[in-house]
Amino acid sequence: MKERFKSIRLTNVVIVAAIFLLCMLIPSQTSSYMLRVLNIAMITYLCVLSVYVLLGMCGQNSFAQAGLWGIGAYITANVVMKLGYSSITAFIISVIGTALFTFVIGFAFFRLRMYYFTFATVGLMTILNGLFMNWKEATGGALGISNIPEFRVGGFVANTETSKYFVILATVVLISLSLKFLFHSPLGRSFMAIRDNEIAANCLGINSLLTKSIAFAISGALCGAAGALYAFLSGYLSYQSFTYQQSTMYLIMIMLGGTISPVGAVIGTLIISLLQEWVRPLQNYMQLIYGAGIMILMIVQPEGILGGGKVIYDKYIKPKKTSTKNG
Amino acid sequence: MNLQLLISGTSMGFVYGLIAMGMVLIFRSVGIMNFAQGEFLMFGGYICYMFNRIFNIPIGISLILSSLIMGVVGAIFMRTAYWPLRKAQSKAIIVSAMGASIVLKEGARIIWGSIPVSMDKVADGTAKVSTASIQWQYVAIIVIAAFLMALVYILLEKTFIGHIMQATAQDQYMASLIGIPVIVSIGLTFALSAMITGVGGGLLAPIFFLNNTMGMTSGAKAFAAIVIGGFGSVPGAIIGGLIVGLVEAFGGAYISTTYQLVLIYIVLVLVLMVRPQGIFGDRIQEKA
Repeated sequence: MKERFKSIRLTNVVIVAAIFLLCMLIPSQTSSYMLRVLNIAMITYLCVLSVYVLLGMCGQNSFAQAGLWGIGAYITANVVMKLGYSSITAFIISVIGTALFTFVIGFAFFRLRMYYFTFATVGLMTILNGLFMNWKEATGGALGISNIPEFRVGGFVANTETSKYFVILATVVLISLSLKFLFHSPLGRSFMAIRDNEIAANCLGINSLLTKSIAFAISGALCGAAGALYAFLSGYLSYQSFTYQQSTMYLIMIMLGGTISPVGAVIGTLIISLLQEWVRPLQNYMQLIYGAGIMILMIVQPEGILGGGKVIYDKYIKPKKTSTKNG
Repeated sequence: MNLQLLISGTSMGFVYGLIAMGMVLIFRSVGIMNFAQGEFLMFGGYICYMFNRIFNIPIGISLILSSLIMGVVGAIFMRTAYWPLRKAQSKAIIVSAMGASIVLKEGARIIWGSIPVSMDKVADGTAKVSTASIQWQYVAIIVIAAFLMALVYILLEKTFIGHIMQATAQDQYMASLIGIPVIVSIGLTFALSAMITGVGGGLLAPIFFLNNTMGMTSGAKAFAAIVIGGFGSVPGAIIGGLIVGLVEAFGGAYISTTYQLVLIYIVLVLVLMVRPQGIFGDRIQEKA
């Protein structure tokens, strides 16, 4: 067991290092349009990561992530524009505000199990989208909020695409690293215990209602961070960004990458975000191909790309001695 | 005014009931929530439109033909999106159903275009009852939907095929041991589910225009109906559908049209808080 964790962690480190090097080189090599695509992809990655915490670690499926993302974005916009606080404060308020909101909601919703919880989150998503569309004072209604000021700390203003890229990249890396701590912490382990068998976890003395609510709150915090970054990046918020379809997209991304590790979230997000850009000429048939692709992928490899890679690794690359029967 | 709302709400409720019933049939049969059910409604509507407006076939026959074709679509859906994944985790099946719903949605857009279309009504004109004017189409929807529901009930409870389908739903392995071809039985269930949902689309289209994104909202309302009525219960799905339709009609008239869907989901969350198993649901003991 320990061996397996170690080997996965090693590959993670290598992959993360390679991606990091690549990330440093990217801004000088690509157009600002491509950078914008990457920036959006990184923000999407944070949301997909929130699905990973909830689904991959804790085994609960939520369709409200895009709504939570929206909450974070609108909190930032309001705090910066109406209260005039600094960017950092707005970011922190967004994260904490969204986390608190999801914690309270989670405490109510996790009285429902499995399917019921998922449906309640579909409801939450619908309610949030309705609120974003109609609550004129806070969200600007159908017109949305425009002219949100850029991210600034002291004298530094993130007003170019490259500087925004580095701000987002730094946040994403920080969050990913802290998630690694979560993965190996007692809290993270209790998430996984609940995922594997909730009744057994209860017998071990885990308060499953509280723990699941905390998992939901952490995923809410991630979405809140993503929302704040999105508000600073785009400068314009519209209810059309925060839809149920967006939430299903996150689920598809994490399933494509694989739910066993955050790396799956990276792979899934990158593939789908970049695919959407590369196949623009095929725009008319793009969605069709994409839907069929998802079905084929699920049939061929239900564990996602990472799951498939792991199977190959276990079978061919890993030393025979440690390859005991693998579930 | 109130009578008018009552009739339109009830008829919409019956349509949601049809979708919800389709979902419940699939859920009882294979234990999976079908996330593409709303797309069946949209696709059925479009096939009916194709027969009615492009081939100029009378609407009654178009409805029957479209429901037959939807049966085939349902069987294909089962064979491609569900059957290869029957032993995988349920989240993989949910994602593949989502993929299938994208395929149906985009397929409809590519075949029939994205401009909203309409077609003939089953029954034209309006009836005057004191001050209220009621479209005959609403009445026709109620009659046809109720007839279909009765038909499904008879099919499931009184016929041999229905018993085969119920036996498979209870225990697939046991059913295969006594010689029931499980794949055929599940395929029939999916086909039946797609058929009744598809007819719903054909009935709805003359009132609200058809477009390729209508599946999602109707699907979301049908979810609400199922959860309100009680998960896995067929009468619950119908009652839940009626509640959703009436809340939508009266809430839209007296509170706000923009918050219709929000209102439905607030009712849903309230029902879940008070009675988590829904109105007709049984409290199921969780298995270790």
